[in-house]
Amino acid sequence: MTAAIEVQDLRKHFGGLAALDGVTLQAQAGEVLGIIGVNGAGKTTLMNCICGIYRADTGRVLIDGADMTGLAPHQIAHAGIGRTFQIPRVFRRMSLIDNLLVPVLDRRDKDGALIDSAEAMLAQMRLVDLRHNLAEELSGGQQKLLEMARMLMPDPQVVMLDEPFAGVHPTLCRFMIEQIEAMAAARKTVLLISHDLTAIYRLSHRVAALNQGRVIAEGTVTQIRGNPAVVEAYLGN
Amino acid sequence: METLVLIGIVNGLVVGGIYALIGLSLTVLYGVLRVVNFAHGEFVIGGSFLAYVLFNSLGIAPLMALPIAAVTFFAAGWLAYYLLLPRLSRSDDPEIMSFLMMYGVSIALAAIMLILFEADSRSIDYSFSPISLKIGPVYVSTARLVALGVTLVISLALTAFLFGTLHGKALRAAIMNREALQIVGVDIVKLSAFAFALATGLAGVTGVLIALVFPAFNPFSGAEYSIIGFIVVVLGGLGSPIGALIAGLIYGLAEQLATVFLPQAMAPVVGFLILVGTILVRPTGILGYRAKR
Repeated sequence: MTAAIEVQDLRKHFGGLAALDGVTLQAQAGEVLGIIGVNGAGKTTLMNCICGIYRADTGRVLIDGADMTGLAPHQIAHAGIGRTFQIPRVFRRMSLIDNLLVPVLDRRDKDGALIDSAEAMLAQMRLVDLRHNLAEELSGGQQKLLEMARMLMPDPQVVMLDEPFAGVHPTLCRFMIEQIEAMAAARKTVLLISHDLTAIYRLSHRVAALNQGRVIAEGTVTQIRGNPAVVEAYLGN
Repeated sequence: METLVLIGIVNGLVVGGIYALIGLSLTVLYGVLRVVNFAHGEFVIGGSFLAYVLFNSLGIAPLMALPIAAVTFFAAGWLAYYLLLPRLSRSDDPEIMSFLMMYGVSIALAAIMLILFEADSRSIDYSFSPISLKIGPVYVSTARLVALGVTLVISLALTAFLFGTLHGKALRAAIMNREALQIVGVDIVKLSAFAFALATGLAGVTGVLIALVFPAFNPFSGAEYSIIGFIVVVLGGLGSPIGALIAGLIYGLAEQLATVFLPQAMAPVVGFLILVGTILVRPTGILGYRAKR
């Protein structure tokens, strides 16, 4: 079966530093793949290479078997990849509705239909009452929800979430977890980076642990929890 | 004195409207492309020379020259973008490189205009009928009122485009966060080409208005308009289209009212004083904000 997303031997160097040193991963439709690792392990660089912000030195990224190597970020987005950032990158001086309309500006739907879709998405994220507010007026947690809604607007098949729970109130965290579960239930492939291991272990079907740009362990939550290499990477010898 | 102040206000609005268009173009350019376009003033003066040639060689009136300049310069901007700018993004410091390159383009364009039109100042010997209109106690040149009307219409149209259409919203989104815009699937190269073409088209139109309003222009006038444009951008707040429109009007009014109370040579100094004052009191400009990139 063709993987929804497949990363093959991805390498990325910054000067003499190997941020990614031959990362190979894959995930199926509807699967949540947790990606863990200490700071500097290469998690965000991996996402940046997958979505085209960074161009990998070598290696390939395949979406549903289609090679994304060398494509521009917008082309990769059109191929069905969406992502969020650790610090939300919403369009601060635009209304929530407008934030959601920008990703679908090439759609031929009537404006009214797009606005209906955007409002439905905001309702799903419990932000619909604020739809005409500027994004900069939202709290940090709400901006993360807005970014998630914006990511989902074009209906991507693979979503990458970079530290969605960082600095977020526990109640909002639980809501985000429900949303991620809903994405997986809708057969989206979720790549989830988080330092919140409780959330990672609850959500992930499989977990990949990165250290110094390499995958040091990959498997089910149970396998990863007891893996000595992972324990050593987190706690030292 | 009251009459002089009234004349100063009307002239300030006319000149301010022109400055606002220059500032608006530069703020969109910098916001979307991160390009400091030092050649913008030369594009503006290129528009003035186009109006000059169209009128003197073909008898086309300046008002008719407006759409011709818009289309011609839009196309020139589109071509210039693909010729000059996409490769810059691969350099270590695209913003500085773009500044240096556009400074070079500015020198080259001024030199080309010098070869074509020589260094003498030119003007268009065109007048509306009637030449002036009475507004309250003052007579105002019809050409200036027409220019004010045109800047008003263009400013409103641009505001409607930027805030009311999806593509305008994409341009504003690019000003706010270029990287996030690419991630959500917008082709930033195409959008940048459009922004550059739009700004250059506006420069052409602004040049026609300058030929209509100001007594003369020459191949070296461009640098002055570029500098005024940058002052307006900083005054209005980097990346704020509405801020640029307001700042252009403030700068134009201050400059023209200064000529009522102070010697003519002091007018540019007043503009710079406003800039320095704004930077000291509100470094982000009138409607600017601290960018998080």
